[in-house]
Amino acid sequence: MTSTIQAPQVARGAESPRAAGGPVQRKNPLVRARPWLLLAPALAVLAVLLLWPLVRVFLFSLQDYGLREIVSGDANWIGLANYGEIFTDPTLWTVVLPNTVGFAVLAVAGTVALGTAVAVLMASLGPVWRTVVGSAIMIAWAMPAVTGTYVWVWIFDADRGIVNETLQAIGLQDEPVNWFTNRYTFYAIVLLNVIHHGFPFVAITILAGLLGVPKEMLEAAEVDGAGSWRRFWSIIVPNLRQVFAVVIILSTIWDFKVFAQVYLMPGGAGSNREALNLGVWSYVESFGQNRYGFGSAIAVLLTVVLLGITVVYVRTMLKEEEL
Amino acid sequence: MSRNARASAVKAVLVVLLLAFTLFPAFWMLSSAFDARAGSGGQTLLPREFSLENFGYVLTEGGFDVFLRNSAMVALVTVLASAVLALLASVAVARFRFRFRTSMLLMILVVQMVPLEALVIPLFVQVRDLGLLNTLLGLMVVYVALSLPFGIWMLRGFVAAVPIELEEAAYLDGATWGRMFRSVLLPLVMPGLVATSVFSFITAWNEFIFAMTLLGGASENYTVAIGLKQFFGEHTNEWGYIMAASTIITIPVMIFFVVVQRRLSAGLVAGAVKG
Repeated sequence: MTSTIQAPQVARGAESPRAAGGPVQRKNPLVRARPWLLLAPALAVLAVLLLWPLVRVFLFSLQDYGLREIVSGDANWIGLANYGEIFTDPTLWTVVLPNTVGFAVLAVAGTVALGTAVAVLMASLGPVWRTVVGSAIMIAWAMPAVTGTYVWVWIFDADRGIVNETLQAIGLQDEPVNWFTNRYTFYAIVLLNVIHHGFPFVAITILAGLLGVPKEMLEAAEVDGAGSWRRFWSIIVPNLRQVFAVVIILSTIWDFKVFAQVYLMPGGAGSNREALNLGVWSYVESFGQNRYGFGSAIAVLLTVVLLGITVVYVRTMLKEEEL
Repeated sequence: MSRNARASAVKAVLVVLLLAFTLFPAFWMLSSAFDARAGSGGQTLLPREFSLENFGYVLTEGGFDVFLRNSAMVALVTVLASAVLALLASVAVARFRFRFRTSMLLMILVVQMVPLEALVIPLFVQVRDLGLLNTLLGLMVVYVALSLPFGIWMLRGFVAAVPIELEEAAYLDGATWGRMFRSVLLPLVMPGLVATSVFSFITAWNEFIFAMTLLGGASENYTVAIGLKQFFGEHTNEWGYIMAASTIITIPVMIFFVVVQRRLSAGLVAGAVKG
């Protein structure tokens, strides 16, 4: 297959898939049913395991659903009480929302800024160094979230982590600091982890776009006396608007639902209430407190937020190609 | 210093900083994994006492022999099942025009964005009702569903890239649709199928929240992603073991990832980056 980064080219004629609906015998009902026969197994799996659960999580959110209801299977409808409780809970306004939204904003900004900078740097390198840098960021990207998080926890470990030991060795602090108890240093570490894991995708995608910007345009601008800063903002950014849009939206979706990166940190699994975000809050209320109804309501809120972002994403995609 | 020399010096510094930032976690993981005295304080950049002790412990008493086997089984079943389902579905959406085709594609796109935290509660109840809690089967079924939307989305591009003329030539030679599928389409989308399979593998191998929830009590059925938890003690963590186990988990993912990374970017931004 192609070794470039773009999606496989659509074959000529594929714009009218009806041409390939099968051999010429169009009247045959088997031919008309064929797409549905092909889709049926996948649709069945998606319906039972993704769509029905989505309906159910909403139904749970309208109930006082605890261990008793799980065992008996009885419904215990309480209307919108769970939502009322969420919106009157100070935890939501002082801890969870700032942690979720504030973190997502910083993480998206950091990921996109670093990814773009790396892409620009890579575009200016020769083939050898570009390959070296490309391979290195691939390693950061491939690191599973679980092991990556544990490595960052180890780096910042309160007792023997290398950060504390280094800071002590050079005399910047007298005794080890526990970085995980303070909400801001806690999320600074999550931020570092998420940016480190997320920027390679941005860099690779934007690099592909950069290499597609016509050289003549850049040269013409240079002849006209535009500096590199000016060339970046006036030529590259407008040319890559679509790419930036996709990268920003996808990063936003991913950074809104960080879970393992928070949950696996010391205190992240609910014992440090200050560190909760929407996803972790939903999980610890459900599986820690057995308040599955309340947890479901939180999960529904998170889903609604993400679906809102997804709608923007889909519209951006639809502008670009016919599905 | 001339302007050019200064520019390349700046560039060299940037590259070095970038490489250091990018590679440090992986390097630190390896260095601690091979250090028999990792976690006892005063660690240096390179292992002070190079040994395979941590790996030996993790693979025997640590139980990772069992966890690796569990993960491999789960991943294998997930890969096979989702490859078959995704291939059939992607042929339908790429090659046929039928009612609700666009809504179907939108649904596949949107469903990928749903947070796992929202699915884990109802699926926990569902799996529990089926009596599959603490079994690998329950986990496999969930993973097939999780890797399916992205698989369909990606394979659709590969199927669409096969020239329709080839199919028509097969029909002219008297092939039925089934014969054409086997002898023309399937061999041509094989590279796409391999790429998609690698992603289902990575999904199943890395997944954490469902493994933790659905396997909660049955540590003999743990997958690698949650097997790590046991090295965390109340007061001390066995960092040497944790890093050795992390290395074992990470290596296969990295190998596969490098093989298919180009297609991953392609699948994620399908259509957004025009050639």
